[in-house]
Amino acid sequence: MSLKYIEEYRDALLARGLVKKIHLVSKKNLRLMEVCGTHTTSIFRHGIRSVLPEGITLLSGPGCPVCVTAQRDMDAFVAFARVKNVIVTTFGDLMRVPGSRSTLAREKASGADVRIVYSISDALAIARENKAKEVVFCAVGFETTIPTIAAGILMGIKEKLDNFSIYSAHKLTPPALAALMETEGVSIDGFILPGHVSVITGTRAYQDTFEKYDIPSVIAGFEPVDILTAILRLIQQNEAGAPALENAYARAVSDAGNEKAKQIMNQVFEICDATWRGIGQIPSSGMQLKQAFKKFDAAIKFGMDMPDVPEPKGCACGEILMGLKTPYDCALYKTKCTPMTPVGPCMVSSEGSCAAFYRYS
Amino acid sequence: MTEEKILLDHGSGGKVSHALFSDMILPLFENPELSKQDDGATLDIDGTKLAFSTDSYVVDPIFFPGGNIGDLAVNGTINDIAMCGAIPRFISVGLIIEEGLPVKTLKTILESMARAAQKAGVRIVTGDTKVVPQGKADKIFINTSGIGVIPPHTDVSGCNAVPGDKIIVSGTIADHGIAVLSSREGLQFDSNIQTDSAPLNKMVQSLVQSDCDVHVLRDPTRGGLGTTLNEIAAQSRVGMKIDELSLPIRGAVRGTCELLGFDPLYIANEGKLIAFVPERDAQKALEIIQQDEFGKEAMIIGDVTREDPGSVFLHTAIGGVRIIDMLTGDQLPRIC
Repeated sequence: MSLKYIEEYRDALLARGLVKKIHLVSKKNLRLMEVCGTHTTSIFRHGIRSVLPEGITLLSGPGCPVCVTAQRDMDAFVAFARVKNVIVTTFGDLMRVPGSRSTLAREKASGADVRIVYSISDALAIARENKAKEVVFCAVGFETTIPTIAAGILMGIKEKLDNFSIYSAHKLTPPALAALMETEGVSIDGFILPGHVSVITGTRAYQDTFEKYDIPSVIAGFEPVDILTAILRLIQQNEAGAPALENAYARAVSDAGNEKAKQIMNQVFEICDATWRGIGQIPSSGMQLKQAFKKFDAAIKFGMDMPDVPEPKGCACGEILMGLKTPYDCALYKTKCTPMTPVGPCMVSSEGSCAAFYRYS
Repeated sequence: MTEEKILLDHGSGGKVSHALFSDMILPLFENPELSKQDDGATLDIDGTKLAFSTDSYVVDPIFFPGGNIGDLAVNGTINDIAMCGAIPRFISVGLIIEEGLPVKTLKTILESMARAAQKAGVRIVTGDTKVVPQGKADKIFINTSGIGVIPPHTDVSGCNAVPGDKIIVSGTIADHGIAVLSSREGLQFDSNIQTDSAPLNKMVQSLVQSDCDVHVLRDPTRGGLGTTLNEIAAQSRVGMKIDELSLPIRGAVRGTCELLGFDPLYIANEGKLIAFVPERDAQKALEIIQQDEFGKEAMIIGDVTREDPGSVFLHTAIGGVRIIDMLTGDQLPRIC
């Protein structure tokens, strides 16, 4: 994307015009959920909440991959870091997420070889350069990330990299939306659907959820104008009583999505049940390596079967991810739980709603 | 201190670093000079006012677009002294070198240090060299300390901001951090962004020798502009209001930050200062800064307010308002 493109969409006048329009059409009190963590950050960074009518509440959903990573998966990452001759490679956001007893950052400070990477290709490079060691990649992320991990596995096969494996804690977006709608007490009047994820999945991936729950849904990009446009359309749909599945990010998202990325993803991974932090198990919402690729499964390679563990007492991350609570409703927020001493992952990730509330409000 | 071991966060320059300083370092060393928490200490020796400062450089990689660890180490300490309103004069250099560093590399670094000192008009007058076994340091670490003379009637400190002051930044922000990142292993991307590392002592000298009443000078290095503004808001017990549209940020820097999920407000600068001056002097101070070779893109970015002491607010381009907090932990890239 050219920089000029970004500048154009940040056009302040255009945004202010949208804000005026939102105030004109907004009558009902509405609860709108942004599903993606990047949206959460953008909403805070641009002060979008502060320009909306009082009746419009924005909820931050389960769209930050770090925040929904189950405690047992974090424990597994920490356990790998403690195995001799293992180099753990991870996205930076996971470093400070607390497992039951430790974090990757603390393991690193205690001498474990934990390295921050920016993509799986960095992890593969580390494996190539360290043939005498085992390299484990902590694979978290949604549809946006999974195809790149799949491509990395295929590359590993091509290069016969036997010292490389991944621990897959991948998650899928549409099943989580459906699970949210089924949860008692959840009240959402519209979804701001994730832009990056939708580039891969396409608009069609949300069709079933939309039809089943008849809920206003708009796919949005990440600039203030994109987000304000989505909010305006969700308000218009609600005011008119005419729910629709709309694509307000057509410059990047198509109906069918990225077929090639989906094909690579489905070649290497298959759908499985997955545990989401704070929400619990959601059927068919995860992705695991297919049988043919099991030799790249770090859990099998190291015989790592982590027990399910209860989440920290008092941590409301789960309810916050479902829009049942805001960070202000959590007794730990800003007391025991801060970005310096996080209890739950929502306070760690740069895209977590608690961290965003802490930083920007 | 809640942690049992030092984590990388303790060196981020943000909240965790501050907690380490206030909880452990300050109570042990407590004295009036240190307690002011400025970039350098202001000393009064028999009526002569001096500024004294030290800084260590561990940048990775040691060469990056537009500079290297050597000129960075010299400019950094010059700037810390200048931010006390002082004219930097003498610098010391401590080298900690990893066994195996090519002599040619060391020479290149030392040559840049010599050039940087000469350009700024300071002399490197003492130093020390240590070599440690391979793996015990990463190529080279450099410590520089320096002293400078504070002209009479100069009183510049982070404690001196008052409501009504205008806040000036001397040019585009976040260039240094992004330049270093662009050349970091595992994250190489093409960009023409160069470090802004530069000596600011001449700019400061022109400012303090003018009739502008300069209250605060600070260079927003590690932790970025956002963290530095918070430090001053806390030191001076004032509020601040920053206008997003007036923040000078290069397009390429903004774009890179978008891609990696960084906020330019928290990215390091090495050749920029922020100055707090009363409104009546603001235009004149801005012009003085703009006349300096490193201040051409200076802008007035906001005001000091009486309301909300200790807090910094950003008035966003779309007409919203949000808090600018101090950096919490190192900035990490987004993953989806």
